[in-house]
Amino acid sequence: MILVRRRAGGVPTGPARVVRTRTHELTGGDRVFRWVSGLAAFIPLAGIAFITFMLVFWAIPAIIYSGPSFFTSTKFFIGNFYNPDFSVVNGIRAPFGATYGSLTFIVGTLATSVIALVLAVPISVGGVLMLSEWVPRPLEGPLSTFLELLAGIPSVVFGFFGLEVFGPFLSQHVYPALSHLGGVIPFFKGSWAYNGQGLLTAALVLTAMIIPIIASTTRQLVKRVPVLATEGALALGMTRYEMVRVVTIPYVRTGIIASALLGWGRALGETIAVLLIIGMTSGTPVNIFGTTSTLASEIADSLDSALGDATGMAVRALAELGLLLLVLSLLTNIAGRLVVRRVSTEALPVGRGI
Amino acid sequence: MNVRRHAAIGFAALTGACLVAACGSTSTATPTPKTASSASSTPTAAAVQTGNPSAAVTLSEAGSSLLYPYLQKLAPGINAAYPNITLTPAAGGSGTGQSEAISGTIDMGGSDAYLSPAQFTANSGILNIPIAVSSQAVNYNLAGVNNLKLSGSVLAQIYSGTITTWNNAAIAALNPGVTLPSTTIIPIRRSDSSGDTFIFTSFLSATNSTWSSGPAFGTTVNWPTVTGELTAQGNPAMVDTLKATPNGIAYIGISVESTALVDGLGEAELENQAGDFLQPNQTDVTAAVTAGAASVPANLAASLIYQSGAGSYPIVNFEYLVVNPSKITDTSTAEAIRTFIEWAISPTGGATSDNLAAVNFVPLPTNVVPLVNTALAQITG
Repeated sequence: MILVRRRAGGVPTGPARVVRTRTHELTGGDRVFRWVSGLAAFIPLAGIAFITFMLVFWAIPAIIYSGPSFFTSTKFFIGNFYNPDFSVVNGIRAPFGATYGSLTFIVGTLATSVIALVLAVPISVGGVLMLSEWVPRPLEGPLSTFLELLAGIPSVVFGFFGLEVFGPFLSQHVYPALSHLGGVIPFFKGSWAYNGQGLLTAALVLTAMIIPIIASTTRQLVKRVPVLATEGALALGMTRYEMVRVVTIPYVRTGIIASALLGWGRALGETIAVLLIIGMTSGTPVNIFGTTSTLASEIADSLDSALGDATGMAVRALAELGLLLLVLSLLTNIAGRLVVRRVSTEALPVGRGI
Repeated sequence: MNVRRHAAIGFAALTGACLVAACGSTSTATPTPKTASSASSTPTAAAVQTGNPSAAVTLSEAGSSLLYPYLQKLAPGINAAYPNITLTPAAGGSGTGQSEAISGTIDMGGSDAYLSPAQFTANSGILNIPIAVSSQAVNYNLAGVNNLKLSGSVLAQIYSGTITTWNNAAIAALNPGVTLPSTTIIPIRRSDSSGDTFIFTSFLSATNSTWSSGPAFGTTVNWPTVTGELTAQGNPAMVDTLKATPNGIAYIGISVESTALVDGLGEAELENQAGDFLQPNQTDVTAAVTAGAASVPANLAASLIYQSGAGSYPIVNFEYLVVNPSKITDTSTAEAIRTFIEWAISPTGGATSDNLAAVNFVPLPTNVVPLVNTALAQITG
């Protein structure tokens, strides 16, 4: 927030005619700027506060109904509306058999987004370094534009592509090979859906979705690495690889983490693409190929059913899922910031590890 | 505007008359009363006051995606018959239709499922008015088999994971002489809120006691976990997923049945209460409706699933418009809703064989019309 403040004793000295007769030194433009920028800074804060407040307000009955089992149960079922009986827990009435457990979605959300992140960061950074260091100049421009265009593809297109093309391809040509890893890594053991729906397909599509986000940010950072440092490294007789390892990467490290966080946020909250390809079944996946669900996609998928609930509890349970997603995003953001603080130092982080 | 003022006075008188007579009789205040009392055989049935509203009314509708194409077909027709009525249908799902009609956000909410007892209790005076009859097919993707017979109980066991292969004894017993493969069955179901899930699970509940005491029925149910099961969102995606899944089985709404058959998928013959095996067609669905319509309750929340009678197809349902009379405060809107629904169910209005055939629907049985009229008379504005 940029606010122009009057400094104590800051009245400019000089010829008397220059001294303003007003009690403060701000021009009209300054005041407008102060108000507009103040308002602009206030709106996002107020928005987040309002959303959080509304989610908490809406979720309270669901929080009372579920208690701690919200975090420990893998079963999320909004109840049987047509049963004349109701389930009453802690004095809150919900449709018969209603169980609001989020563990499946927590696992699904974290698993898909972390796999996507682990794959996307090296690919993006490697790709950008290739683009800036080795690809001929005339090709660099068009390739970069292409990268930025990728970031603009609507997520439903990614989801549709995953469902119709990528999923079936993976299930027929890639997963049979991957499942041989089952002997070494137990998670890779077992069968997968014929059309490829499942955790790994969703994670791979998310990878494709966040690569452009991480890559385009990283590219801006790499372009700002001082020429003096990089050319100095080359002048000292380093190879390109050594220069990248010793100068470029340390210089952009914090930026990469920040852009990875941005990508992680996108992967955590991605709804429609995941909804189409993760299989949307309740329960944690049996293996890495298994079908499951995530917080965001479950909210979208269940909302219409939830609206038919006369007790209104189903919508409140979805609000609790929304609140959890908000908290999860916040926690990952804070964790990322802590990492950034650890790796960044006062001095230019170049040249360590030679 | 003199005309408008007169009309307003007329409406006030109308509403007054309606209140006095408890909406039991037709007022003659409107110049051309189109009372669709085709049920003249039942003199107790309320005749409904309909007509072109004096002011232009836009009727907003949202909800069931199965009903949506039918309402789209009706929209130009109602406007041609009654120039002051404009119908703006939208999809969004049955749950959206129910909740938005209850809250008064929209005038009418489309729903494949009738309202739950809890909804009737929570919203006094709420109406679910059937306007047409739909049905559902069970399709399969099985190489070399094209005349599969199935029963509700077997389907329940497939979707519970207790019958896992196509050559299971229970399936073989229904299909003597058919060579069934030993492959694993892949059940495909809807993950989103779905009227098709509602009627399919109603059928399973009606035919299998383990299912009815377990997952039971609803637009979303607590599906048993079946190894290899797949999910899809919406009927077109069900067709796509089944097409891409050899050895799969799926329940698919009748309005997209033609695409499923064009794609070469098999359509199961389902066992009805009389023990006959039938595929959905106009005759067999109509037989089920006729059998089921005899016992429609006053609140119109009726299941047409698994009806008696030799020719009754087992998975049949009413398509509803949900109206909350307490949120319809404007007399012109009320008149427009009454007029639209009367027109929509009339064979000379919206329910022409062309319109119905376009989505494979079947007209409302005549003995339900008096109940619809009684319901419509409660929408007074």
